[in-house]
Amino acid sequence: MDVNVPDARLMPDTLAPPAAFSGRGRRFAWTFLLLAVAFGAVPAAIVGTGSSYLAQIAITTMIFVILSASLNHVTGTAGLLSIGHAAFYGIGAYAAALLSTKLGLPFVVTLPAAGLIAALFGFLVALPTMRLVSIYFAVATLGIGEMIYVVLLNWVDVTRGPMGIRGIPPIELFGWQADTLLSRYLAVAVIAVACVWVLHRLTHSYYGNALRALREDDQCADSMGINVERLKIESFVVATFFAGIAGALLAHTSAYIAPDNFRFMESILILAMVVVGGLGSLPGAVVGALFMIVLPEALRDIGDYRMIAVGATMFLSILLLPKGMLAEGTALGFVRRSFSRGWATIAGGTPVGWK
Amino acid sequence: MVFDVFFLQQVINGLSIGCVYALMAIGFTLIFGVLNVVNFAHGEVYTIGAFVGLMVITAMAPPLLAVVPLVLAVGAASGVGLERIAFRPFRRFTDEASQKSRAMREATLLSSLAVSIVTREIMMHIFGGDMQGIPSGYLLQQPVAIGPIMVASGSLVIFATSAVMLGALQFLLYRTQTGLGIRAVSNNQLGARYVGINTDRTIVTTFAVGSMLGATAGILVGLYDGAISPHMGFAPGVKAFVAMVMGGLSSIPGAVACALLLGVSESIATEFLSSGWKDLITYSLLVITLVFFPQGLFGHGRERA
Repeated sequence: MDVNVPDARLMPDTLAPPAAFSGRGRRFAWTFLLLAVAFGAVPAAIVGTGSSYLAQIAITTMIFVILSASLNHVTGTAGLLSIGHAAFYGIGAYAAALLSTKLGLPFVVTLPAAGLIAALFGFLVALPTMRLVSIYFAVATLGIGEMIYVVLLNWVDVTRGPMGIRGIPPIELFGWQADTLLSRYLAVAVIAVACVWVLHRLTHSYYGNALRALREDDQCADSMGINVERLKIESFVVATFFAGIAGALLAHTSAYIAPDNFRFMESILILAMVVVGGLGSLPGAVVGALFMIVLPEALRDIGDYRMIAVGATMFLSILLLPKGMLAEGTALGFVRRSFSRGWATIAGGTPVGWK
Repeated sequence: MVFDVFFLQQVINGLSIGCVYALMAIGFTLIFGVLNVVNFAHGEVYTIGAFVGLMVITAMAPPLLAVVPLVLAVGAASGVGLERIAFRPFRRFTDEASQKSRAMREATLLSSLAVSIVTREIMMHIFGGDMQGIPSGYLLQQPVAIGPIMVASGSLVIFATSAVMLGALQFLLYRTQTGLGIRAVSNNQLGARYVGINTDRTIVTTFAVGSMLGATAGILVGLYDGAISPHMGFAPGVKAFVAMVMGGLSSIPGAVACALLLGVSESIATEFLSSGWKDLITYSLLVITLVFFPQGLFGHGRERA
């Protein structure tokens, strides 16, 4: 923290800045601004232009926001480099698609079921791989991700192999069908915001601090009494659960899924979002997802040179901002300041919580 | 009977694929050794090797033996260029916090990935995304009879080349000053710097050597398969990466052994399974190995960082 700026908490009441500029007010302002964009500006643009292209990009962005926020939870916060995240996204998508097309289950069942099935696979993967450290763990997730892809591609009886699954019903909640562009977007956006909020509460807490401790040094964290194995498994399961949710959203919004949506390059794309945004920073993960989805679309005019430009931009952003667009330190500092200010007022002026 | 002639032929085919993986895996191992970072652009070096070979062959039609030194030179040059663009800029942060920071390490890994995306897309623009045929006069597909077994001449060339390159590598690493430098830097970069080794130059040399091996693997496969494409580097790159990790990250004999194991098991698997399931064997081997040997087959125990 900048030492030259007087901390509002330490100032007498008369000197305290107006509420709108205090930490708490600022946090609400940010939250409000983001929600206004997600639920005001974007829907307005979709309705105003009526373009299905815009709606599709907005939906894809929201799905990838969930993916990159969940990968950030396991890779950024808990420090387990996973390069097979897309496979769990795939499991969620296939679970939702098969449950709804073969068994005719409604969306309220398939959404949590997809998350739980992906989490179950995540748990089974995590059990034997948790004693692997650093790059060994990364390669194990790569291997498992590719195994899942091979199964999706070749188990034709169930997954229809490379033909993919068609005709997945759209999102519907107790009779309300999300069949217009706007309603589809809104349904996805509500779920994405809920997922990010849950991850925010998990990451920015004492629990999140324990995860960061084991990322920095798991042996040391272990000796301090943190149950390292358990936390690692939990963080992996949480991340795969949200990847499964994202997969279910993809299945129900695009009505068609194929194994190629869940290849290794997709995992790398999600990892790139997290790193470009700022490893370990939840707002960074959201910004990174926005950036990596919107940028290629914005560059559509240059046609075939688009991927070169994407690669070059990725390279430059890593080169110039190796800690990410919203680095972890900045993001945590912001959250902590606003938390402790909020608590300080509640506790009658006594500073509590994080410093 | 298991050891029939066909089976033996499959093993030989597998060994030649394994040799290609091994050549690439050595490049990965050398570079991981000196930098502790995975070089995701290694597959592109392999592709560059194949395409440069093709260009030289179509433009000048030289004898095959003349193509090899050229591919070696281009491989070395692309390795040096890669180090310059994707890795050197990230070594400017020399303070301890940055060196230990996970964000920095992952950033380096992704910078090599970004460079590989750009390289691949540029090659797609120049050569198109389709498969390119190699002129048939250069193909190494003539069957050679060794007793009852028929072997493609390409397999023999791959064996011979790999043997020569492995021998040369052993000589370089254990009999020369440069090799001593490479081994010292992989052992302890800071320590190597303290005793007066020019670590930057050693790292560049390592990239050059590793990329020479990778580019050679590329042109060998091109001549053996008869068709190359800008995407050809991806699959062997991942397999070689897997072999390096199975071998224990820092052990070259381990990487070579695991690469051969992967090649042979893949080629035998095609006999029992449809080719789509072949990759499942590779990755199951990887996961099983890591479950029972968390440090790879030839790796050593974990150090306190």
